Amino acid sequence: MSENSPEQSSTDKPRKELEQELKRLGRLSTRGVLALSLFLVICILAWWDFPYLPQPDAVTSVIGAPPCARLISIALIIYAFSAIILSLCRMAQGVEHRSSFCHVGYLTAFFLFYYFSKALQQNFWAVFGAGITILGIESYRIWNHCAERILKVKENIEFLNRNGRLPPQ
Amino acid sequence: MFATLAGRALVPVGLAVTGFMVVCCLVLYSAISDNLHQTEIVNATNLADTVLKSTRYAMHKSDRETLATIIHNVGEQHGVDHVRIFNKKGVVTFSAKADELNHQVDKSAEGCIICHKGPTPVSSLGTMQQARTYRNTAGMDVIAITAPIYNSPDCSAAACHVHPAVQKILGTLDIGLSRTEVVRSLAMLRIQMIIFTLLCLILTIGGVTALLMRTVFTPIRKLRDFVEASESSTTPPATPPDLPHDLDMIATSYYNSRLNSLKETVNPESSVSQSEKP
Repeated sequence: MSENSPEQSSTDKPRKELEQELKRLGRLSTRGVLALSLFLVICILAWWDFPYLPQPDAVTSVIGAPPCARLISIALIIYAFSAIILSLCRMAQGVEHRSSFCHVGYLTAFFLFYYFSKALQQNFWAVFGAGITILGIESYRIWNHCAERILKVKENIEFLNRNGRLPPQ
Repeated sequence: MFATLAGRALVPVGLAVTGFMVVCCLVLYSAISDNLHQTEIVNATNLADTVLKSTRYAMHKSDRETLATIIHNVGEQHGVDHVRIFNKKGVVTFSAKADELNHQVDKSAEGCIICHKGPTPVSSLGTMQQARTYRNTAGMDVIAITAPIYNSPDCSAAACHVHPAVQKILGTLDIGLSRTEVVRSLAMLRIQMIIFTLLCLILTIGGVTALLMRTVFTPIRKLRDFVEASESSTTPPATPPDLPHDLDMIATSYYNSRLNSLKETVNPESSVSQSEKP
């Protein structure tokens, strides 16, 4: 068993950290696509009129009448607008924010509201379009952010290998 | 495409604008379609009421010939798919189509099941519940209204009539109207919205591309060409091209440092402390 030289052991820790960061960024870059896939699964269920859910009448007789479809549509437009603006702002500022899966939750809530107000068939494509747009932009933002960071980390690893130290911040 | 500056600038803008416009168009289309459907139902209900009021006197007098003529004439009108009256047992007693007469109506059929799904038939329905839409055997979309003919004191108390006062419903009028015009309008609306969205997309992408080309991409290309030309030559570099203010500062700074390094190469002992852009 060979012992590492002091110089080599001093570079091991930052190298390991950089490699872990590389792995983390690799995982993070697929987050948007995973959220998009989950949303597509929910869309398929919504297309089949949520076969595993109770009938709207059975639920509304217990918890009360849902809001009318027009109000839900107005809320959907406001939500889509806000989510797009928020995502573009994060993109402009280069913020690492993992918000994709909560958007899947919000969009599922819209599907459910339309389902319980018996207007899912007429408004399915509106929620689908909003979901694809928001999650598409979010996926692009996360992927782009990770691609930039991965490039930077790889440069740092190369610098570390060449010079035995990390580049000055 | 995603790696270039143009791609990175245009993809999010294009996606955001197109996506939001598509969502707005879909919501708007859904709202317009819903409004048109409700208007159709109201119009069909009004027509059913008109037919009932027109035939009431003939029913009162038990004038079957006049009643049959009214039903036949209404049925011949453009846009009317069918008009029929059936009695409490579900037998068609009057119809614009002669072949339907004396036929028993299936109580489990669409339009009948709404009232007849329980052991006791429902005697009153809301306007929206009375309506049903379907495609007939000829492939035409139809909206139909089933309007009950209620008993009233002047019916049950009349000398010529046999309806007892306890009988709430004497029969049912079923009238169906063609939805061809509405379907055509909605198809036109869909096409117009698609064209509108495409035009907006082209305009947005075109506008953003033109602005970026003018203010960012072309100056950056000029700067890159200038830097590449300066690096490859051993002679003093040409003066920087006309560039926007920020890029001009970078080009001038590069030009000065390049000029200094060339002077140092020619005469290493003399150091040039300052150099100005010509």
